[in-house]
Amino acid sequence: MEAFRGAGDLRAIGVILMKDLRQELRSRTVLTATVFFAAVTLVIMGFAVGGQPDVLRVVAPGVLWVALAFAGVITASQSWVNELEDGALEQLTMYPVPRATLYLGKVLANWIYLAALAILLVPVTVVLYDVQIGGRWPLLFLVLLLGTLAFSLVGTFYAALTVTLRARESLLPLLMFPIIIPALLAAVGASTELMYFADTVKAFDWLQLLVAFVLAYGVLCTAVFHFLVEE
Amino acid sequence: MASNSGKSTGTRPLWLTVLGFVTLAAFLVGAWYALVMAPTEVTQQELFRITYTHASVAAVALAATILTAVFGAMVLWRGKPIDDVRTVAAAEVTTVFLAVTVIGGMIYSKPTLGAYWAWDARITLSGIMLVLMVGYFVVRGMIGDPLRAARVSAVVALIVAAGAPLNRAATSMFRTVHPARSADMPAELQFVLIINMVAALLVFAWFFLERARLGAIEARLEAEREGLEAGSSSVKEVVNV
Repeated sequence: MEAFRGAGDLRAIGVILMKDLRQELRSRTVLTATVFFAAVTLVIMGFAVGGQPDVLRVVAPGVLWVALAFAGVITASQSWVNELEDGALEQLTMYPVPRATLYLGKVLANWIYLAALAILLVPVTVVLYDVQIGGRWPLLFLVLLLGTLAFSLVGTFYAALTVTLRARESLLPLLMFPIIIPALLAAVGASTELMYFADTVKAFDWLQLLVAFVLAYGVLCTAVFHFLVEE
Repeated sequence: MASNSGKSTGTRPLWLTVLGFVTLAAFLVGAWYALVMAPTEVTQQELFRITYTHASVAAVALAATILTAVFGAMVLWRGKPIDDVRTVAAAEVTTVFLAVTVIGGMIYSKPTLGAYWAWDARITLSGIMLVLMVGYFVVRGMIGDPLRAARVSAVVALIVAAGAPLNRAATSMFRTVHPARSADMPAELQFVLIINMVAALLVFAWFFLERARLGAIEARLEAEREGLEAGSSSVKEVVNV
């Protein structure tokens, strides 16, 4: 198992992160692929559940997180597909830093995309689904950050596995969604407490689970990542 | 080719055959106790009898996901071919046990909770674990190189087992309509449950050992075949004739 050797590895994570962000700023592939997709998901789900105000308010947190989970698949997949061109991935793995730095850099980049998307989608959800957030928005912000980090940790990990396989588009959600069920339940649970029941105490219970998920998979995925990209 | 050593002839060792019959006996005794000897339960009547099998299989199935991950960790740690054989064997039997748990749970759920799938915490947990274990085989099947398939699927086995406690916490916070735990049972019924628990463990152990034995033979055969293909052309000709 490769150990972290301090500052040099942190710099490598930062370099990967900046590279991915710069690439995204120039191409805007993730942005165009996820923002409209997620927004359309919110609209179509509004139609699908029938448009009654009381039903809409109940389902709003769930719909928001489903849209984010789908977007999470796209961002995670895209960040590795980018590296397939011109043998970029092989080049990256040849640097004398632990492979996990590659993973963590991409986790951070995908987290930034997803968290930004989540913050964009909340006002859309408030308008379309008529939910009340009131003074509970700092806590909701925390839930959005942790939930998207959980999705990014698992998505980036599995996307590295599926990117070289034939049926990667269908395989990634198939593998990723069952794993993120606890994070999805916790994120939806916390959001529902905040957006519907206005119960911050219960939201904290769900938040603890979300933190446990992030810690457990953060450590495990980082520890075993180098087995996925050996070749 | 078949007779270079006693090991590759593939006869089942005597102790494993004996264990098979012990397992069968334990299963029959367990079923007899559950269906005939156990007194009828007060509230759920005859329906309660499914608990003895269902709870036993469920407990073994969840523990077996951990066992699969332990073998998976062995693959990553030392990477001997036998480790992969054991991981696959454990994963296959675990998947069957999880499937039986889910099916048994649904049969039990319809008359007691009113629906085959009542989104109850513990059945949902088994369902999620079943889907996760299927992911192990999906990954395995997609990767051509056997060495890489072994290592990557071992990673999946670890990830799956790590999800078990989190899923347990999440599903129990999500919803719990499951019948009470076995600790509330009278001692008489607990005894029947313990017999069935032992039977379920034995069934798992026997399936696992037999599957691992067959897997080891398969792996040895594969290695021999590759050795022949890599060998000189004269060897190839001999095999082709």
